Amino acid sequence: MSGERGGGRGRGKKDDKDKAKGERPRGGFFRRRRVCKFCADKIDYINYKDVRLLSPFIPERGKIQPRRISGTCAKHQRALQTAISRARQLALIPYVTD
Amino acid sequence: MSQHRQYELVYIVSPDASEQAVADLHTQVEQIVQRFNGTLDKTENWGRRKLAYEIGHAREGTYVIETITGSGEMVKEIDRRLRVTDTIIRHLTVRVDDDLRVAERLRTERKETQARRRTARGLPPEPLPSERRGDRDDNDSDDMGLEGAEGVR
Repeated sequence: MSGERGGGRGRGKKDDKDKAKGERPRGGFFRRRRVCKFCADKIDYINYKDVRLLSPFIPERGKIQPRRISGTCAKHQRALQTAISRARQLALIPYVTD
Repeated sequence: MSQHRQYELVYIVSPDASEQAVADLHTQVEQIVQRFNGTLDKTENWGRRKLAYEIGHAREGTYVIETITGSGEMVKEIDRRLRVTDTIIRHLTVRVDDDLRVAERLRTERKETQARRRTARGLPPEPLPSERRGDRDDNDSDDMGLEGAEGVR
């Protein structure tokens, strides 16, 4: 299955979407296909000074949103991590909020 | 032998400091940069901004961002000086040249691939503005369809 997913990457987006629509688990849980925001928007450099770029990945508590929820790819999640920690040091983003 | 690299220096000046003090700090940094034969490429002043959390007792601060090209020794010296300056409540130096180079490479690669694919399909290498917009809209409507499906469930 993982091989299939890897193959689909280079191909058209439409195929993937149709597939996602087709496989609806019996549990009644429909999960929308997640796309890495940085890949989709073609953002090459995740700037730590751009709070508006980072804020969607920081939920209320101030923690970094995990990949399984945001759908960010591994490469960009890593870059996001460094960007967020830099922004935190500069008090652009809180470490914790309660 | 020290190599010259590009750095980004961000420092937050205490809200008690005057405009003049901020300008003085900037000239101080500039002097250090010159002493180490570096160049100050760009300065950005964000002005007063609210901090996400309290630093010391400060709730806001003046953000200044400087893009500098110079050696590691220069950065060391700037770091030391900023650390002992009381009016600076926080500073951070980040080396940016590598990241920017990677970003630049990705951008050109993407452009090239796009151009190659488009010429292979007998289209002009650059997408027309009208074309691009149509593409976007199509994608959006697709998303909407998916959301609708979600609702039906």
